[in-house]
Amino acid sequence: MENFKNLPIIKKLGFNRIVLVGVLILMYFVFSLGSGRMLGSGDINNALNMVDYLGFLALGVTFVIATGGIDFSIGPVMVCAGLIGGRLLVTFGWPLWLALVMCVIVGMVFGVFNGILVAYMGLPSFISSMASMMLAKGVGSVFTHVQNSNWPASGEPNSWYKYFVNYNGFPTGLLFLLVVAIVCAIIMNKTKIGRYILCIGSNREAVRLSGVDTRKWEALAYVICGTLAGIAAITYVGVITQVQPGLGDEFNNNAIASCVMGGTSMAGGIASIGGTVIGVFIISLLRVGIQAMGFRPDYQYIITGIIVALAVFSDIRSSSRKK
Amino acid sequence: MGEVILTMKGIDKSFPGVHALDHVDLEVRKGEVHALMGENGAGKSTLMKVLTGIYTKDSGTITYEGREVEFHNPKEAQDAGIVIVHQELNMMNHLTVAQNIFIGREFMKGGLIDDGKMNDEARKLFSQLGIDINPAEKMGNLTVGKQQMCEIAKAISHEAKVIIFDEPSAALTEAEIEELFKIIRDLRAKQLGIVYISHRMDEIKVITDRVTVMRDGGYVGTLITADCTKNDIINMMVGRVIYEDPKTHSMVKPGAPVVLKVEHLNAGKMVKDVSFELHKGEILGFSGLMGAGRTETARALFGADPKESGDIWINGQKVEIHSPQDAVKCGIGYLSEDRKRYGIVVGKTIAENSTMASLKDFLKGLFIDKKKENEATQKYIDRLKTKTPSVDQLVVNLSGGNQQKVVVAKWLVRNCDILIFDEPTRGIDVGAKSEIYHLMNELAAEGKSIIMISSEMTEILRMSDRIVVMCEGRKTAEIDIAEATQEKIMHAATLR
Repeated sequence: MENFKNLPIIKKLGFNRIVLVGVLILMYFVFSLGSGRMLGSGDINNALNMVDYLGFLALGVTFVIATGGIDFSIGPVMVCAGLIGGRLLVTFGWPLWLALVMCVIVGMVFGVFNGILVAYMGLPSFISSMASMMLAKGVGSVFTHVQNSNWPASGEPNSWYKYFVNYNGFPTGLLFLLVVAIVCAIIMNKTKIGRYILCIGSNREAVRLSGVDTRKWEALAYVICGTLAGIAAITYVGVITQVQPGLGDEFNNNAIASCVMGGTSMAGGIASIGGTVIGVFIISLLRVGIQAMGFRPDYQYIITGIIVALAVFSDIRSSSRKK
Repeated sequence: MGEVILTMKGIDKSFPGVHALDHVDLEVRKGEVHALMGENGAGKSTLMKVLTGIYTKDSGTITYEGREVEFHNPKEAQDAGIVIVHQELNMMNHLTVAQNIFIGREFMKGGLIDDGKMNDEARKLFSQLGIDINPAEKMGNLTVGKQQMCEIAKAISHEAKVIIFDEPSAALTEAEIEELFKIIRDLRAKQLGIVYISHRMDEIKVITDRVTVMRDGGYVGTLITADCTKNDIINMMVGRVIYEDPKTHSMVKPGAPVVLKVEHLNAGKMVKDVSFELHKGEILGFSGLMGAGRTETARALFGADPKESGDIWINGQKVEIHSPQDAVKCGIGYLSEDRKRYGIVVGKTIAENSTMASLKDFLKGLFIDKKKENEATQKYIDRLKTKTPSVDQLVVNLSGGNQQKVVVAKWLVRNCDILIFDEPTRGIDVGAKSEIYHLMNELAAEGKSIIMISSEMTEILRMSDRIVVMCEGRKTAEIDIAEATQEKIMHAATLR
C-alpha cells in the first residue's frame, strides 16, 4: 500500500482524490443497485444542475477555509444576488447582461463586507458570516418586497443566460465550472494570493512577522468567496428560474461539506480545489441517488450528515497518525 | 529541619537532541525551604515537571514519604500532596476566588454547586494563612500578589505536604514579597517541605535553608544557605568549563557607523526606557534572566507589539515602525525565540518559507516563478548547509537547527541588514549550534548587524562584541566584551 501511494503518478494526482473518485463511482453503483435501475441521464442531469451552482459556492468557500476561517453566508448571498438581479431585469427592465453583472457585484460586495469585518476589524468569521447571512436574506426580501424573482423561462426572450447551464442539451454549466475550478487551482497553487492565503491558514503570526500584510490577503479570500457566490447565482437562476426569498442556508452546508470531504482542512493551511470539485459531485450524487432509491428527500440530510462526519473523522485520524 | 520527605536520585531525562537532566539529585526535608537555583535552561523546571508527572523520567528514582513513587500526571502528584504554585497563574479571572480554589472539586448540594460552602471553606483557608481576601470577589479584580496568595491557598487546600514555588516573586512588589515570605515561614513551621525556585540571590539568603544548584541539566551541589555567600552560589551557577573560547575583544571596526539607534523605548510593563545603539558589523548581545524584557524590547522594536513611545533611527534616519511590515521595509529581520509559533510555517516547504518575506521578487507576471524560487532556496540551503533532501521538503520534517537555518534564509533572501536573533540556539544540538555561531560571525564580518538575545552566558560571551544587560524591563548595564565577565553580567542581571 505504501509503495502504491508513492508511485509518481499517484502522488501527482493525490491519493485521497483517487479514493474520492472511487467513492463517487461506488456510490453510483450502490444507488443504481438500491433503486433497481441504472441511474440514467435524467438523474445525472439533476445531479449536474446541483453541481453547477454548488460548485461555485464550494470553490469560493475553499479559499476562506484555507485561511482558517468560515463563511456561512454564501448560500443566502447567492440567493440574494439572484433575487436582486431578477428584479432588476424583470421589473426595472435592465438589460440581461447588466443584471448578470449585478449578481456578481452583489456577491462581491458581501465578500468585501466579510473581509473587512474579519481581517481588519477582527471579528470571528463565524460571527461576521452569520451577520452577513442575515443581511443577505433581509436585503433580498426587502428588495423584492418578499416576492419571488422570476427570471425568463427557456424560450422566452432574454433567456440566453440559461446557456451558462445548458446549451441544447450540452452541459455548459459543467464546463463553466471546470474552467473556473482550473483558474481557482492556479490562483491557489501558483500565485502570491494562494501562497499567502495558505500560509496564513497554517501560521498567521509567522507570516505577519515576515512583514506580510496578512489582513489584506485574508480579506481577499473573502472577496474571492463572495464573488464566486455571485457567479454561482448566475448558474443558480439558470437552473431554477424562479428565485424565492429567504432561502439559501442548506447550500452553505452542502458547499462546506464538499470542501471538507475534498480534503480541505477546517483548521486552515491545507486546501484542495480538485478535492472540492469531487466533493461537490459526491454531495450532489448523494442527493439525487437517495431520491432515486425512493427515500424522502429529508433522509438526505441524515445521510449527508453521517457521511460528512465520517469523512472528516477519517481525515483527522489519518493526519494525526502522520504526526 | 525535620526528616526527609522527598528524595529524587539520579534523575535522567533526554529529549531528542538535548540531554535535559543528567543524573540530578534533590532532597527535601520536612520544615525546610529548599532553594533550587540555576541559569535559564539549567533544568530546574524540567526536574519539577518530572517530579509532578508532566514528563516521564528516563531513569532515576523518586522516593516520597519513604516509598518509591512515580506520578503519571499532575493530578496524581497533587493527590499525593505535591503541588506546584506556578509562575504564571492559572486562574480564571471571571470566577470568584472560592470558585477558583475549588475548581474541579466543587461542593455540591442537591445537584447544584454550593457557593456558600465554598466561600466558607475558602475563608477558613485564608484565616489559616493569615491573609485577608474576600472569597466572593472576582479573581480578576485582585492584584497579582493576592492572586498568588490564592494559588497558595489552593495548593494548601489539597493537603499539600510538599509545595513547589516556581519563581513566585517575579511579579510581586516588595510589600507583597514580605507577605509571601511570612506565609512561607508559617508553612515551614507546619513542617511542610518547600522547594523555592528563584533567580533572586537576595531572597535566597533571606528565606531558604538549603540551596541546590543545577547547571546545564546537571547537578552541581547542595549547600546550607547560611554557610555560603552570594558569590559562592553564583560561581556554582556559572562556573562551568567553557568549551568555547569567549571573544576577548570587539571585532567591530573602529568608527563603524551606527546603523540602528533606539532611544527611550517604552512598551507595556516589560520595556521601560530602553536606549541603545547598534553598529555596522556588530553583534550586540542582550543578556538577562527570564522575564527581563529582552524579547519584548525586540518585538516592540520590530513592530510586532505596539509601543508607547520611543524613537528609532536607521542609518541616521528617523523611521516610524508600527508593524512588522514597516520593520522589514527598513531592513530589519526578526528570528523569534519560538520558531515554531513565530518563525516558520511548519506545514509548508523550505522554498515557501524561504521566500515568505520577499515573494514579490519571485513573481513572473501573476505567477510565482517556481524556478527562481527554487534556485534562491537552494543557494541558501548550500550556503547555510541546511540538511534536507530537497527544496520541497516540509519544514516540519527538519531538525531544530535546520529549521533555524530556514528562518535565517528567509531574512537573507530578503537581504535584511539588521538581524535580531532571539535565542538563536534554543533547542538546537551542539553541532548545529556551532554552525549557527559560525554563520552569525560570517554575517557580521560581511557587514550585517546583529542583535542577539541569549539566556546562555557562554553564548553571550562567545558571540557578542558588546553586551546590553536587562533586568525587569530596564537596561541595567552596557559592557564591552573586553571587560565582560560572567559575574559582572550576572550582577547586572539581578540588580533590582
